[in-house]
Amino acid sequence: MKDKGSPARRITLLDIALLTAIAAGTAYMAYRAATGLNYHWRWDAVWHYLFRFDETAGTWRPGLLAEGLITTLRLSLWAGVLGTVIGTAAGLMRVSPRLLSRQLAATYVGLIRNTPPLVLIFVFYFFIGDQIMHWLGVDHFTRSLSDETRAGMSWLFGRMDRFPQFLSAVITLALIEGAYIAEIVRAGIQSVERGQWEAATALGMGRARAMRHIVLPQAMQRMLPALAGQFISIIKDSAIVSVISIEELTFQAQQIMTTTYRSFEIWTTVLVMYFVLTFACSLAVRRLEVALAGRG
Amino acid sequence: MKLFRHTATAALLCLVLLAQGCGQPPRESSTPAPSDARTSQLEEILKRGTIRVGFDTFKPWAIKDRDGNYIGFEIEVAKKLAEDMGVDVEFVPTKWSGIIPALLTGKFDIIIGGMSVTPARNLKVNFSAPYEFSGMSMVASGTLAPGRDSLEQFNTPETTIAVRLGTTAAEAAKNFLPKAKILFFDEESQTIQELLNNRAHALVASSPLPANLAAEYANRLYLPLDDDFTSEPIAFAVRKGDLDFLNWLDNWVRVTLSKGWLQNRYHYWFATSEWESLIE
Repeated sequence: MKDKGSPARRITLLDIALLTAIAAGTAYMAYRAATGLNYHWRWDAVWHYLFRFDETAGTWRPGLLAEGLITTLRLSLWAGVLGTVIGTAAGLMRVSPRLLSRQLAATYVGLIRNTPPLVLIFVFYFFIGDQIMHWLGVDHFTRSLSDETRAGMSWLFGRMDRFPQFLSAVITLALIEGAYIAEIVRAGIQSVERGQWEAATALGMGRARAMRHIVLPQAMQRMLPALAGQFISIIKDSAIVSVISIEELTFQAQQIMTTTYRSFEIWTTVLVMYFVLTFACSLAVRRLEVALAGRG
Repeated sequence: MKLFRHTATAALLCLVLLAQGCGQPPRESSTPAPSDARTSQLEEILKRGTIRVGFDTFKPWAIKDRDGNYIGFEIEVAKKLAEDMGVDVEFVPTKWSGIIPALLTGKFDIIIGGMSVTPARNLKVNFSAPYEFSGMSMVASGTLAPGRDSLEQFNTPETTIAVRLGTTAAEAAKNFLPKAKILFFDEESQTIQELLNNRAHALVASSPLPANLAAEYANRLYLPLDDDFTSEPIAFAVRKGDLDFLNWLDNWVRVTLSKGWLQNRYHYWFATSEWESLIE
């Protein structure tokens, strides 16, 4: 094993040549970007948007971009939770023996997966979202809150005066992600071999019990990596709700750029922030996969 | 058979969605306030104790300072308006391209966002009396289009003009420079980048942005025209058919103009740069 494994690890001349070419290409592009664009670079302006010192309170506070990142996290978290609920329900309906359930779920998944998210967000925000908010009495609810509950809830959901917009964004994102999660759930359940079902039936289990005790535990293990990947996708997809003015990372960045005209510095910073966040999640997912594989 | 069933289900769902969508606009256009047909928006604001103001960031109309608070001419106007009404003010930042639909669907009560009165917009919303006038001006690239000094020189098929989508700058560019190629962008920072990257010959925007840009990039950009080439009335926009609210706004503008407060604040934000230290 040891001898066979080593040649693959050796760095060949070709590898060195390729690496050099890539490094040279990147350096050239960076150089062109820095000099050729006739742009006054000012990186010192960015720090203030990450962390700022609040003089009235005398403490360090997150800057505008950091606040945006926190909103992005809140948004992704709630959309992820709600999307999982919707997706699991739709996924179970997709494999249900009832025709109506299968059709309803198939229509939902088909409708969402074959329309651009941007269009869905606008349609939901301007037509459907409003009526749901009105029906739920969200606006009235947020205004009637006491100051303590307000503070507590703003820790979970962001500024309470923007709660209806936030909720609208969460529901839309959850509906979009739910359709993809539904497919993961369906594929996970269908990947469990027929023999498992048959064995369960032979033991005298009904469909529901077989699903709960035999099929789902196995399917869950197969679904987890794909589900985790979908959560990372939610973080990236959440940038799209900036079009309905949710103050998440992308929206904050655009507002700062309108004020300062420092587009390159801000976009680069935002890029790095998204990358760090999603890459950290990817690493966590990989560890999870390894742990699961080890156990299985 | 299966295909038929799928199609039928999808069609049914589309119908439900359509019914939802179609149910919305008539309700809005026939009544001033979505929640109650009888009362004026003004009553609702007083009852709620908060006026919700829709706007988008435009320098120096409404901008974020270094700490994330909104400042600018419009922000001061909105705060003064709310103070005179005796209510709190709640700012709802909204993308410019979607600001009128957002007003119509009741996301906020009023647009205070440096909005120019145009007949097309007026078909969808009601405007108050104008409280300020804004002019369009142009800033051009010194390397790509050097030494021009009239609008005619930019009105050629070879010229590319960058403007922000949905603004009156976009309309002015189309009307005054019909032969030029016009590029539309969602954000003002993108139009500026296009100009700096030599992909556009000039940028049309409301004053004082072009003058500020020409000052910041003095070696690369210049102002081809000495003065603004349009003068457009700026007014508050509210949903249609609410005469009580409009009457109050009109008279607020008259009173505040007569006291000189609006002129004073306009001068501070547009003619001085004392506030620049707040944002960078």
